[in-house]
Amino acid sequence: MTAPAALEGLTIQGASALGLPLPSTGYARQAYGNVNPDYGPATWLRIAPDGAVTVFAGKVEYGQGIRWGLAMAAAEELGLEPADIEVVLGDTARVPWDIGTFGSQSTRHTGVQVRRAAATARQALLEAAATKLDLPPDQLTCAGGRVVSRADRARGIGFAELLGGQQISRDIADDTPLKSPDEFTVMGTDRGRVDAAQRVTGRAIYTQDVIRPGMLFARVLRPVAYGARLLRVDDSIARMMPGVFDVVNDDGLVAVLAENDQQADAAHDALMAEWEERPDSVSQWDLPGLLAEASHDPVVTQEAGDVERALERAEHRLEATYYIPYIPVAPMEPRAAVAEWHGDNLTVWAGTQRPFGVRGELAQAFQVDEAQVRVIAPEIGGGFGGKSIYRPALEAARLARIAGRPVRVAYSRSEEMTWSTFRPAALITIRSGFDGAGNITAWDYHATHTTTDRPMIGQRGSETPYEVADVRCVVASGAAPLRPGSYRSLGCAVNHFARECHIDEIAAAVGMDPVEFRLKNLPDPRYRAVLEAAAEHFGWKTAAAPSGQGYGVAIGLDVGSYAAECVAIDVQGKEIAVNRVSSAIDCGLVFNPEGVRSQMEGAIMMGLGSALFEAAEFENGRLLNGNFARYRVPRINQTPAISVALVGAQANPSTGAGEPGIVPIAPAIANALFDRTSKRIRELQLQRQL
Amino acid sequence: MIPLHVNGERREAADARRNLLSYLRFDLGLTGSKYGCGEGLCGACTVLVDGQPLRACLATVGSVAGGRVTTIEGLADGDVLHAVQQAFVDESAMQCGYCIPGFVMSTVSLLERTPRPDPGQVREALSENMCRCGTYPRIERAVLRASGHTSGAAK
Repeated sequence: MTAPAALEGLTIQGASALGLPLPSTGYARQAYGNVNPDYGPATWLRIAPDGAVTVFAGKVEYGQGIRWGLAMAAAEELGLEPADIEVVLGDTARVPWDIGTFGSQSTRHTGVQVRRAAATARQALLEAAATKLDLPPDQLTCAGGRVVSRADRARGIGFAELLGGQQISRDIADDTPLKSPDEFTVMGTDRGRVDAAQRVTGRAIYTQDVIRPGMLFARVLRPVAYGARLLRVDDSIARMMPGVFDVVNDDGLVAVLAENDQQADAAHDALMAEWEERPDSVSQWDLPGLLAEASHDPVVTQEAGDVERALERAEHRLEATYYIPYIPVAPMEPRAAVAEWHGDNLTVWAGTQRPFGVRGELAQAFQVDEAQVRVIAPEIGGGFGGKSIYRPALEAARLARIAGRPVRVAYSRSEEMTWSTFRPAALITIRSGFDGAGNITAWDYHATHTTTDRPMIGQRGSETPYEVADVRCVVASGAAPLRPGSYRSLGCAVNHFARECHIDEIAAAVGMDPVEFRLKNLPDPRYRAVLEAAAEHFGWKTAAAPSGQGYGVAIGLDVGSYAAECVAIDVQGKEIAVNRVSSAIDCGLVFNPEGVRSQMEGAIMMGLGSALFEAAEFENGRLLNGNFARYRVPRINQTPAISVALVGAQANPSTGAGEPGIVPIAPAIANALFDRTSKRIRELQLQRQL
Repeated sequence: MIPLHVNGERREAADARRNLLSYLRFDLGLTGSKYGCGEGLCGACTVLVDGQPLRACLATVGSVAGGRVTTIEGLADGDVLHAVQQAFVDESAMQCGYCIPGFVMSTVSLLERTPRPDPGQVREALSENMCRCGTYPRIERAVLRASGHTSGAAK
């Protein structure tokens, strides 16, 4: 973004590319590549001459409520209500550069920057008002769109009157004083979602809803199987069909362009294509064996003492292997893109989590300057990490350039399921040693994730938080027949499944209550606090598993936040019913408690699906369950009673809230299943293994 | 020409085989009804035809000829939200919001048939609508809230 021109009103500028460089940057670079940061300065906040406040941020809204949280942050510092703040997101022509919306980083980096921007604006307003009101700034405050005297609230001046005819520009300083939590009147309180009305009236516009004048509807020819090569395609019938504008066959991209969606679909179905399939495609049944036989590039993520010797000397030993299959993300909105060229300038509407990353990819593909490409991420109908890699943007841009008209590429449900990315699968073996008193004496963790070129995914959350002197955690990569990509908490949730199940197995082996066993071995006070809170809200009664009650517990740490969940389940025939989930989270300073609760509930529901019945089924290079007739997801009638306790000290900095809730749920359910049935299932989906 | 009413306006559609959801979204620009699966399994495209819920993705314009179609855009009375919409707002019963128009329409239909549903009836009636964000606990609360205010208010 270029330096903003002087505008009437108040403009607050500051650095972009927040959170860089951070350890997570290494992950982001590795996972997503193409990071070309623009450090700014950029405009973060504007108060127009009429007093209207607008916040600009490079994050995207895909359900997590970042617009809600940022509006609360700005409202707090400016003495306004969240609904008074307009938040502009995800439009590369209007917002500060951003690495992408993933890893639950929006509140901890962008949220803090927006607070600073709003606090800088407040200070500027107070100083401007000081002369007019003849009071020193420290005796003034902002309230209800006015600067008023702290002593006499009737004495004041409105933002509009203060800013009319003025051009004030300020830079954000890192040491800008922010309100302290004990002064909060908006942050930390329950406020309604700011974008709710648009969402219940159908006015919220998603990429699937973008319609441009003269727009053509594309339908892209997809391979019959993963890795299949197109030998030839006969488009002679397709070209004669009504409404068809063109059939494009350009360097591997074959697509029908038509005047409406149905015409595009019909002509697509009339394409006659011949494919050469790969003879060596891996099926879901082969994958665990392949991962056991071959893993490469092992990385030690935690090591202390001599684990082999400790295992040898251990009073008791346990070895178990866990398997977590691939799962698709399956967001409600199948991905789409609309592209429009004006000369060499390109505008693309794309519901991606990385508008700036996609901008860079497009600029590179067409050999134009990044400034000539504008990517707009409208509302996004779910993504959960999966819309970081976003292929339709380039497809639409290529087709629009060829057609000379705007082009819409919208994935069907089966394209979304088949041709996006999957949460990687993993095979994890744990060898542990322990004594009869419930002390863990050895911990040898070996995971193979199907992550090929993105080993960081598998390393996330692989360390053990339990006290053990002799420990070794190793994470390696293995065969990846399906394309790995991001997903809520991805590798972290996968690693936790194995660890938290294994911990439960040790507790059962020594006849200890699983909550008590964890507390005995868990030194971190923040971890202990969430576990104790979840157990208390649940009404956990001490009992060694299997007790027959169907109770299970697990804990998790991800994106800097601690979570614990206790679940109550029942089994009827082949159905596992999760009746109740009591959760607790410590994510430091909470901007928006309703937002955190909402994210925890959503993460628990999503994790329930991946625990019980969600998995990618594939054979002969084909996804077998790439539609909702064959792919089961949780429904409202499977929803447990969920409670969320927010237990963090507000003095700690904000950490992520979108992902930690999914981490403990699958092992908690598996542990509850053991408690209920005495059957230990070490492979997801649990319901299939029952 | 196929005559029909959409949100109270008289329309004439040219092609009886036109998919109803595509017609509403692309020909009339009423994009509030969403495409989620194209198989009638997710409920994101739910509209009311003569008061009955219909998965628009599975219907043609011809199949609703002469009918009165209500989409999410036709529910509010100007700036005054329908009681069901207001209840979803009051409970912040949405995350990404893509499924919400379908949930709202299914709820309107449920409350027409069963003005005071118990939680079990709510869960049963809405089990054919999908929300991937897992907003279900809030949706259930919103429906129960709406049912307390719905008599007389439902259009």
